Amino acid sequence: MSTPPSLAAPPRTAGSGSRRPRQNLAVAGRRRAILAAYSFVLPGFVLYALVMLYPAVQTLLLSFREWSIAPGKPSPWVGLDNYIQAFSDPVFVDSLVNSAAYTAFTVPLQMLIGLGLAVLLDSKLPGRVAFRVLFYLPVVTSWVVVSLLFQYIFSSGDGLANNVVVHMLGISSENVSWFQERWTGMFAIAILGVWKGIGWSMLIFLAALTAVPEALKEAAQLDGANAFQRFWHVSMPAIRSALSVVFILLFIGGFNVFISVLLMTGGGPGNATQVPLTYMYQQAFKFLNFGYGSAISFTLTLIVLAASALQYSWSRRKLAD
Amino acid sequence: MALASRKTVSYGLRYLILALAAFIMVYPFLYMVSTSFKSRSLALGDPTRLWPTDPTLDNYRQVLGTENFVRYFLNSAGVAVVSTALIVLLSSMMAYAFARLEFPGKRTLFTLIIVGLTIPTMMLIIPQFLLARDLHLLNSLPGLVPFYVGTALAFNTFLLSGFFQQIPRELDEAMMIDGAGPWRRFWDLAMPLSKPAVGTVIIFSFLGTWDEFAWALTVLNDVDKRTLPIAIALFQGQHSTSWGLVFAASLIAIVPVLIVYILFQRNFVAGLTTGALKQ
Amino acid sequence: MNHWKSGVAVTAALASLTLAACSSSSPVATSVTSSGAVSNELTGTVTYWHAYSADSPEVSTLEGTIIPAFEKLHPGVTVKDVPIPYDELHQKLITAAAGEQLPDLVRADIGWVPELANLGVLEPLSTSMPDFQTYADQVYPGTLATNKWKGTYYGLPLDTNTRVLLYDASLFDKVGIAVPTTVDELMAAGPALKEAGAYAFADNGAGGWNMLPWIWSAGGDITDADVTKATGYLNSAESVKGIQNLVDMYNAGYMPDIILGDSGGLQTSDGLATDKYATILDGPWMYPIFAGQYPDFTVSSSQVPAGPGGSVSVVGGEDIVMTQSSTNKDAAMEFMRYLLSEESQLAMAQVGQMPVLSNLGPQLTSINAYYAQFVEQLQTAKPRPPTPAWSQIDSIMQDEIRSAMRGDKTVQEALDEAASQSDALLAQFN
Repeated sequence: MSTPPSLAAPPRTAGSGSRRPRQNLAVAGRRRAILAAYSFVLPGFVLYALVMLYPAVQTLLLSFREWSIAPGKPSPWVGLDNYIQAFSDPVFVDSLVNSAAYTAFTVPLQMLIGLGLAVLLDSKLPGRVAFRVLFYLPVVTSWVVVSLLFQYIFSSGDGLANNVVVHMLGISSENVSWFQERWTGMFAIAILGVWKGIGWSMLIFLAALTAVPEALKEAAQLDGANAFQRFWHVSMPAIRSALSVVFILLFIGGFNVFISVLLMTGGGPGNATQVPLTYMYQQAFKFLNFGYGSAISFTLTLIVLAASALQYSWSRRKLAD
Repeated sequence: MALASRKTVSYGLRYLILALAAFIMVYPFLYMVSTSFKSRSLALGDPTRLWPTDPTLDNYRQVLGTENFVRYFLNSAGVAVVSTALIVLLSSMMAYAFARLEFPGKRTLFTLIIVGLTIPTMMLIIPQFLLARDLHLLNSLPGLVPFYVGTALAFNTFLLSGFFQQIPRELDEAMMIDGAGPWRRFWDLAMPLSKPAVGTVIIFSFLGTWDEFAWALTVLNDVDKRTLPIAIALFQGQHSTSWGLVFAASLIAIVPVLIVYILFQRNFVAGLTTGALKQ
Repeated sequence: MNHWKSGVAVTAALASLTLAACSSSSPVATSVTSSGAVSNELTGTVTYWHAYSADSPEVSTLEGTIIPAFEKLHPGVTVKDVPIPYDELHQKLITAAAGEQLPDLVRADIGWVPELANLGVLEPLSTSMPDFQTYADQVYPGTLATNKWKGTYYGLPLDTNTRVLLYDASLFDKVGIAVPTTVDELMAAGPALKEAGAYAFADNGAGGWNMLPWIWSAGGDITDADVTKATGYLNSAESVKGIQNLVDMYNAGYMPDIILGDSGGLQTSDGLATDKYATILDGPWMYPIFAGQYPDFTVSSSQVPAGPGGSVSVVGGEDIVMTQSSTNKDAAMEFMRYLLSEESQLAMAQVGQMPVLSNLGPQLTSINAYYAQFVEQLQTAKPRPPTPAWSQIDSIMQDEIRSAMRGDKTVQEALDEAASQSDALLAQFN
């Protein structure tokens, strides 16, 4: 797609240095290496640019218009109005806060529990395949099913959650109407998110842990390291890259939480559990405010992108240390 | 002896933790299984009672007897297998280049991949629909494939590049001294060493394309071209839903996903890299 | 496709039997047959999107009876029906509209017709269908009104429903009070029912579908007749009183929390069947659900509790619309006519879809006794205001009335706010 201008530079130098054959050879080799690299990247990237980036640019352009769905109807240019509206829209700002809270709650738990299970299942434990399958089941169970079930668990009557809160823990003296209030509702949604996501991060960590050389672990054991020390000093450094990948993917996924909120509360009651994507969906596909929906979507993208870029460069730097 | 008993305790503790976790993780699935054997299921029953009172296979019979159900299953299977193969191939190639090769524009392209990770795809559906129309890919099963592959590339490229970076550089350099070009290093070194990661990509990609619903529903019109998730969603009514049917159909749909999972998690064998290092 | 065609062949015999039975008993059927004879030269394919669920008797009636019978009348025409999951039909329609890929006919939720008409994708039937008035005269006025946008009709009603009062007779027997027929009686029944451990009334939200019966029955309204203005209607003294009654009942503990939109609460039908809720408002589809899920429970029904404005409920259901992009309008229109014929409407009535033809009302009780209360309620039932802004107004009402229920605002303040926000939205479409 977008070939950077710098690509043109090396061949030109190659031409000018034709009188020195050895350097010429090196330049030709470098040129071949670059061409080879593009042959790795471009087939996928062209397709990616066509079906993702090109529509994304179009959606970005929509966000500067009051876009009418019907072809041939006027879609006046409104500049940054949709973005200004977004930041003065308390529902959108609250939805950002909700998704931030959701992310802050679900990402660490998913990583910790997923990693814990992966460590337990990485060893040569008899029956580990069965456990691997069992822990993966939530990932493949349909959202519709689990959302319905979690509504039961967090029902305002004598559901499982109220049993735990009132009788087992004694935190509350009476039953909680979970989906009635913002934070209890978000809590229920976040618990579902963790439950459904653990198997996902477990799988990636399992894949990463297989790269830890068995010999190193054995050597550490001979040196008298206990299980935790072995994990911390041998396994952890080897899976740091996977940790940062999972963290960023979960972080992005947390801000993009959608289907569970839609099915559990629909963003309600009264926008209390609205997250950016449910609000975007409502504005675009229910109210037909596509320009505004696009602006919401790109505001979210920008925020998440900035945060991910920070984390990514930070984790790179740490890796390089 | 002390060592042996400590080992037993640690095994027992591990199993206890695993069993407890497994129960919590599996319960909703069991509830789904149980409901699929219930005859009256317009509303969902008490989730604490797992054993159906009059278990029946009627829901399964009705699902499998639905017009075209087998066809929908095969439609989904075809699209998912082809898409998964292309996703694995293209994303591992891209990831390898980002992780191991140098080329101008690398940072820009990688940034654009990360941008794609953060864009909510729901908002792209109308521009994508217009694109599919202009490319004559509407209402066509093969037409789903480029969109499934293209939208999955960002995620899988990002995931795989993390794994490719973990491959010790020494191995790469050793092969380069032997005169191996990037393609040989990719096929003979990076791919075999990343079997677990590639397995993960296969598992996720198959699940993603097998379960995809919104796009397939939007672009497919002919009833006989539909995929399985559409058929399952059609069991949900406007005012009432036969949950037994929905769950029975969903359980049938889970089988291939689990088979793929079980087949490819076998790639997760500890010590792959160790072996390579010893060579 | 093949499978589907063989299904047509199998059911053809059955369909012709049904047809024969219908045409012998009803006079309108002959006129349809004659109009069919006139347009026998119709050809081509008619694509029809609907949201009947896959295992539903509605879809088997459509595919097994109605379409084969129509294709027998018009051998040159093939009707291709496409079932689409209800929750996604709107999204698919919008995307298809943007890409100019709409089918010939759509069974659309009544709320979508003004919106789609405003997008300019629907055929204005009242100008392009020569016999539109014939059909308009046969249907309930409340159902016809849902098709109107800026003085033009863009569709015809296809099936209808409304909400009536469903109650638990055994509970009222136990407590020893009569089933309330007015809002005042319902409120008066609160204390006794509360003592018996039941809520007098339950509903699961504060949107238009939930609130409009109370506003209209109190003599209030949402907008003016031309749907241009909400101030003076939605916040009139009558409308405020209608909502205030509910707020008072909620505050007194005669109504459960689910009115605030608690998706984890005991749902209305489950509460009614288990003696927790004495009354709810709901539609005819609840009967099969109760029969299937609570076989020991007998549900009873009566009219919406009346107020100063009478007993006025809200019209639900679907319309049939034709798209402007249809390339086979004559055949599509003929299929529309057939869907509105007595035999089609009665065939769908057998499987729970209430006919829109008002003259079929008396016959319906012989199909399902429970239709009686709904037919009666439909005589006065009104549609939600037909405007593309409705889904947004609905959401505003829901939020504002919810804050009134929670005591954050007075009912007057809440409805003033809702009315002024609605005015701004309505102004966009005038």
